[in-house]
Amino acid sequence: MLKINNLNATIDNKSILNGLYLDINPGEVHAIMGPNGSGKSTLSNILSGKKGYEVSGEVLFEEKDLFELETEERAHKGIFLAFQYPLEIPGVNTNIFLKTSLNAVRKARGEKELDAIEFLKLVKEKSKELKFDEEKLNRQLNVGFSGGEKKKNEILQMSLLAPKLSILDETDSGLDIDALKIVADGVNTLRNKNNSFLIITHYQRLLDYIKPDFVHVLMNGKIVKSGGPDLALELEKKGYENFN
Amino acid sequence: MKEQLQKDFNNSIKNLSLSQKDIEIKKFCLDNFIDKGFPNRKEEDWKFSDLSQIIKNNIGELSFYNDQASTNKVDTSVFVDGLEHNKIVFINGRIEKIDFDYEKKDQIEIIDQSETINEFRNSNSLSDLNNAFTNKCFKILVKKGYQLIKPLIIYHTTNSKIWSKNINLRLNFELDKDSSLRLIDLFNDTSEKNFLNIFYNFELKENAVLKNYKVDKFENKNIKYSFNNIDQDKNSISETFILSSGSNFSKNEINCNLNGIYASAFVNGIFSLNSDKHHEIRSIINHLNENTKSYQLIKSVLDESSKAVYQGKIFVNSDAQKTDGYQLSKAILLNKESEFNAKPELEIYADDVKCSHGSASGSLNEDSIFYLMSRGLSYQQSRELLINGFLLDVVEKITDSEIKNLIKNMIGIKE
Repeated sequence: MLKINNLNATIDNKSILNGLYLDINPGEVHAIMGPNGSGKSTLSNILSGKKGYEVSGEVLFEEKDLFELETEERAHKGIFLAFQYPLEIPGVNTNIFLKTSLNAVRKARGEKELDAIEFLKLVKEKSKELKFDEEKLNRQLNVGFSGGEKKKNEILQMSLLAPKLSILDETDSGLDIDALKIVADGVNTLRNKNNSFLIITHYQRLLDYIKPDFVHVLMNGKIVKSGGPDLALELEKKGYENFN
Repeated sequence: MKEQLQKDFNNSIKNLSLSQKDIEIKKFCLDNFIDKGFPNRKEEDWKFSDLSQIIKNNIGELSFYNDQASTNKVDTSVFVDGLEHNKIVFINGRIEKIDFDYEKKDQIEIIDQSETINEFRNSNSLSDLNNAFTNKCFKILVKKGYQLIKPLIIYHTTNSKIWSKNINLRLNFELDKDSSLRLIDLFNDTSEKNFLNIFYNFELKENAVLKNYKVDKFENKNIKYSFNNIDQDKNSISETFILSSGSNFSKNEINCNLNGIYASAFVNGIFSLNSDKHHEIRSIINHLNENTKSYQLIKSVLDESSKAVYQGKIFVNSDAQKTDGYQLSKAILLNKESEFNAKPELEIYADDVKCSHGSASGSLNEDSIFYLMSRGLSYQQSRELLINGFLLDVVEKITDSEIKNLIKNMIGIKE
């Protein structure tokens, strides 16, 4: 599904990614762990199309060159990034945003757009599943939401858009244990043999709830070690120092 | 310009039956205007908008005589649908229709003041021009305790019969004790390169409520100046909302005198500009008595090489203790060539007051755009959503829900 070959990235002449290789097949859950500044967020930004990076190398998503696709086209094709810091957007009603987003994606996929009633039914259903306070749907997007509510809102969006590849950028940071479980449940519900996940995290904790198939250690812009779920436990014990 | 002014002035007073004294007053105003000319950047209030240059560059030579003899056909297609309303229709500066069909006839008085000159002064020469050339003037008097059932829409329509003309308008409103009026000024121009010079005077008696919504939405190449004086007695409320968008140049001035205790004034506005449009709002709120309140919020979205100016002054005299004055302006610049100028002024002579002001401008937040695009929205959709959201809270300040919805539909703002 996703093939990254020798990805290099710099921003403002500072090199962030230095020859990163990664293969993700349908149905797989990959976790990337790494210390601060190792390039985790840069990787997720580049995959979802954020501007401002100088990149070289190759990224293929379902055999298509990702760099030829605009940010919104990547979303249409099924790439989703759950933001580390979801933005607050004043004046934009959450419901209207969700509906616009869902219909933009459905339209691009050749599916019928949902009318207001169909949409509300769906969004209420999903909110209930995620224990996301429905009252928030009528508020301005993320404005005044707590950290946990913002992250749940990301997972709500993920579950509405039903992406093929979901990238979770430190979604666990700032979550209490109950919110963490809800987020993990959201991911596990979406998990099937076609959908893949790339989970970026500092800590092993999230991986107790979302069992990864592969764990990678990212240091200085490249993957220095890959392994199974046990690698995360080993990291937790030894710290990143030993992998340098 | 001088010969043209004199010739047009002589033509214009010929048709009026004025006393010698009134003619003298008009002549005096004309001479003042000839002496001063159009305001230019040397005057502090006009330093961001040099009207003299703007007229020269966009219109060239103006003529000032308007033949008021022949009537214009009222094009009913410009009337607002879905909102029952009273009407005053101006076409090319001539009053064609005054209609208060929805109201109790004995509660509203329409007084023709055309042939009694009461001078209207402000600090610039445009009041002289207006005094010299206005040849029809009405006063709308809303009687004690009467609250108009339906809003009044004043249609300012111009069509291609006029070209390079100066049009002067004047209306006076008196809202007696406990009365209220909802007023929409709606501009609809299919003419080009004219200069409209509009003067309104409002007198609000105790407890009176005025809601004035000025909507200049449709694209046109005219130049507009509108001066609004609002005198407010005890407990009265004035709410002014300005949508400044359609004309090539527009300057709205709101001069508000809070004479009575507990009087309050609200001035909210939106600049939505593109191409090389240049618009300004100048407000002066004079807090002249205790416990008076003013609130102002101005938001701008400026594209291409457009320019918006907001000059807001809060004056608090020494008697006006417990004044509460607030103003904020925010601008989004969509283009490197666009420009926003804000000049807040506070002049305070009382010691127990609460006054604040703020101004911020910047470009659209790229991170917000990225966030929305990562959810499948196109750049255009993301931009529209953000701009919509930015402007929404000004529109939400409109206290009349019927008119709020009308204006939302007009600008395409969604909740």
